[in-house]
Amino acid sequence: MGLVGVQRLKEIVGAENVKDNKADLYVYGSDSSVHQAMPWVVVRPHTIEEVQNVMRYANPRLIPVIARGAGSGMSGQAVPIKGGIIMDLKKMNKILEINLEDTFVRVEPGVVDDDLNRALKPHNVFYPPAPASSRIATIGGEIANNASGVRSVKYGAVRDSVLGMKVVMANGDLIHLGAKTRVEATGYQIDRLMVGSEGTLGIIVEATLKFVPIPKFRCLGIAKFNELEEAGNAISEIMSSGIILSMLELMDNIAIKAVNQALDLGLPDVEAILMFEADGMAKEGVDIEVKRMMEICKKHKGFGLELSYDAKERTRIFSGRKKLFPSLSRYKEGYVCTSLADDMAVPYSKMADMAKKIHEIAKRNNVIMTAYGHCGSGCMHTKILMDPIKKTQWEDAKRAVFEIYNFVRSVGGTTSAEHGIGISKAPAFKREKHESLELMRALKKALDPNNILNPGKLMDAPDDWVTATKLRYTVKLEGK
Amino acid sequence: MKAKYIKDWENELNICIRCAYCFEGCPVFKELGWEIDGARGKLIVAYGLLTGELEPSEYIAEKLFQCTFCRDCVERCSADISVPDIMGAVRADLFEAGYSSDSHKELLKKIEKSGNIFGKEIKPPVFEGDKAVLLGCRLVERKEDSEKYLIILEKLGVKTKTFNESCCGMPFAVLGDKKGFSNQQDKFRETLPDKNEEFICACTTCVFFIRAKYPDLKAKYIIDEIVERLPDYKGKLKKLNIKVTYHDPCNVARGMGMVDEPRDILKRICSELVEMPTYGKQAECCGGGGGLLVSDDKLAEKLAENRVVQAIETGAEVLTTLCPTCEFNLKNAVEKLGGKIEVKNLLDLLYESMM
Repeated sequence: MGLVGVQRLKEIVGAENVKDNKADLYVYGSDSSVHQAMPWVVVRPHTIEEVQNVMRYANPRLIPVIARGAGSGMSGQAVPIKGGIIMDLKKMNKILEINLEDTFVRVEPGVVDDDLNRALKPHNVFYPPAPASSRIATIGGEIANNASGVRSVKYGAVRDSVLGMKVVMANGDLIHLGAKTRVEATGYQIDRLMVGSEGTLGIIVEATLKFVPIPKFRCLGIAKFNELEEAGNAISEIMSSGIILSMLELMDNIAIKAVNQALDLGLPDVEAILMFEADGMAKEGVDIEVKRMMEICKKHKGFGLELSYDAKERTRIFSGRKKLFPSLSRYKEGYVCTSLADDMAVPYSKMADMAKKIHEIAKRNNVIMTAYGHCGSGCMHTKILMDPIKKTQWEDAKRAVFEIYNFVRSVGGTTSAEHGIGISKAPAFKREKHESLELMRALKKALDPNNILNPGKLMDAPDDWVTATKLRYTVKLEGK
Repeated sequence: MKAKYIKDWENELNICIRCAYCFEGCPVFKELGWEIDGARGKLIVAYGLLTGELEPSEYIAEKLFQCTFCRDCVERCSADISVPDIMGAVRADLFEAGYSSDSHKELLKKIEKSGNIFGKEIKPPVFEGDKAVLLGCRLVERKEDSEKYLIILEKLGVKTKTFNESCCGMPFAVLGDKKGFSNQQDKFRETLPDKNEEFICACTTCVFFIRAKYPDLKAKYIIDEIVERLPDYKGKLKKLNIKVTYHDPCNVARGMGMVDEPRDILKRICSELVEMPTYGKQAECCGGGGGLLVSDDKLAEKLAENRVVQAIETGAEVLTTLCPTCEFNLKNAVEKLGGKIEVKNLLDLLYESMM
C-alpha cells in the first residue's frame, strides 16, 4: 500500500483510524488459527458511509478488503492471505434499537455478544447463540461465521437468530436484506447467503436479530460412563426421544484427565462424562425433561448422576467443561493446543464412533487429541495437541486432519459445525462440497467481480493448509 | 535487539492460543481500541521481537509500556498465560536495547539516589515495638496517614516497629531494568530489621511484589493482620454514615485473591456499600500500575477517570480503596472531574470508625 493510498484512507476514516506501522500489521495478521500473513494497512471505520467509501476506493484498485471483528476465528478467516486492507469493525459498536413490541434488536457489527445480552437482560430477553467466545465475539463476526454454542440444540445457530441485515457490497453499494418479521418468503434469501460467508460476499454493517425470553428455570445434570459407547448410546437415545433439551455436552477421558491434571478438580477418572440441561418457564416442564435424560443415562449404565437448579451448583458442575480449554493448553510440556479439524458435526448415532476414531487417528499420527463437544447439535470438538516447532509434527497433524475428515464424510457428517472454514478447513471443505464449488465461485464472481472481499478463503483457499500461509509458530527442522 | 529475556518465554508465547479473551477487561484496550493495545496484541509483538520478524522501535516500546500489569488478562486467559511476566521480560530486552524513556530513567535514578520513588529523604513515623511494618514509599511520604494506620494496628494489639525503608524494587522490575532491580533488591534486604521474621506490609503493591520476587521473606498484608485481630477488638467501631464504593486494587483482588475481606470491613463500619459495574476479580484497573504513571501519565489519568465515572454513577459519596497508588491516581482523576466523589483509603475509614 503506497503512501497515496494510506493518505486517501486517512481522508476517508480519519488519520487516527488508520494504522500502517509494521507492528500493528503484524498483530492484525494473526487470529486464533495457526495462520499468519501481513496486511498492508488497517482501517477502523465508524460509519456505514466510511465503509462504503473504503470499498469504493479499494474495488477499482483491486485491493483486498478483509472485514474483522475480534479476530477470534480459529480457521484463519480474518488472516489476510493476499494482503490488503484489514477493516477493523470493532468501533461500529452501537446497539441501535431494542424493539420489545416486535421482538427484535438492531445492532452495528462491532457490538460484542455479551454486551448485547447485558443490554437485553433488564427486559428478560436474550440473544441466544452464545458461542464460547461471546465475551469478545462481535455480532458481525458471528454472522459472517454462522457461530453457535452450547445451547444451539435448543436455540439454533446464529443463522436462526438473524432476521435481516445491511450489507456494503464490493463496489460500495449498500443493500438491505431480510426483514424485521419472523418469517419472510420474499424471493431469494440473500441474507441467509451472507450468514457464514466469512466476509467474502459483502461487509455486514448492521444486523436485525431476534431475541427470546430468558427461561425462568434451568436444570443441569451430569452422568459418568465407564465406556464411551455407553455415553454415545445415551446421546443417541436422548436426541431421538423427543426431549426438549437446552444442552448436551460430552467430555472424553483425555479431556477429563487434562482438567484433573491442570486444575485438580477431582473429576472421576472415567471414559466419558455427559452434561445435560433443560430450561423453560415452568419448573414442572424442566423437571420432566431432565428426569427423562437422567433415566436414559441410567439405562445406558451412567452413574454418579447429579442434578441442580441452583446457579452456583450448576457453575460447579460445569466448571470442568469450562476449564477444559486452558487445561488442554497445559496437557504436555512443549505441546500447544491447535484448532485443527476442531468442530466437525456428525449424526447423533455416530458421536461415539467419531470420538473413538479421533483417538485412533491421533495415536496413529503421533499427536494427542481429545473429543468433546455439543452433542445435542451433533458438534464434536477436538484439539490437536502437538509440538509446534517440529516440522514432522505438522506432517503428522496434516495426516490426522485428512483422516478425520475422511471419517466425517463417510458417516454423513460435515466439516464445520460452528468455527467456519477459512484457510485450515478449506481442503476438507472443498472435498466435501466438490459438487457446488463452481456454483460458489459463480456467486462470488457475481457479487464481487474483482475478488477483493477476503480473497483466498473457502472455495478459493489453497489446497494445502500447512503451506497456505506462514505458520504463526517458528517451525524448525528436526535436530536443529 | 537481543531477545535475551523474552527467549525464556517462547514456549508460553506458543501456548497462547490468541483467542482474544484478554480484550474483554483490558483497560488500555478499552480506551485505545487497537488490537496492539490488548494483551494478545502485545504478546504477538513480543513474539515478533523474539523471532526477529519485528525490530524494536520507539513505537513498539511505547505500546509495550502501555500496560498496567493489572492481571485482568491473566484472569480471563484461555491458556493461563502470565502476561505480566512476559511483559516484564520483553521490557527488559527493550531496556537493554536502549528503549527506555526519560521519565523512566528519571524515576529509577530517584530510587537509586534516595531509596524511594520521590528522590528525597523521607522518614516513617517512629514506632518502636517489636513487629516490623513496611509502609512502602507512598505511605512513608504520607506520614500523617501512615501514623494512623500504625495506630490501627496498635489498637488491635500489634506493637509496631517502623524502620528506614528502601524501595522493594518493583519499579525497576516493571520498567525492565534487571541490573537496577538486582542492586535495589540488595538495598531493600539490608534495610529489613530481620530477614527471618515475618513483617507486616501496608502497601498492596509491595506485599504482592515481595511475595513474588522474594520468596524467602515473610510479608504479611496489613489487611490479613487486621481481619485476624478485628473480632477480638475490645474498642468500639463507630458506624460511619456514608455510602461507599470499593475499588479493588489489582494486586489485592486478582493478585492475592482478596475480595471479600475489605468488603466485610466496610459493611461493618459504613452505613452502605454499593458496587460499581465491575468489581472483585473483574474490577476495572484504575491505570496506576505497571509504570504507566511514568510511561504515559495522560493515559493513566484517563483510565482513572473511567473508573471514577463508574464510582460516581453508583451514587456513593466515598470511593475507597487500599492501594496508595490507586488512591493517588483516582484522587487526581476526581479533581479533574470536579470533585464529585471523595477518594479515601479504607484504612482511613477504619481509623475514623475506631476513633
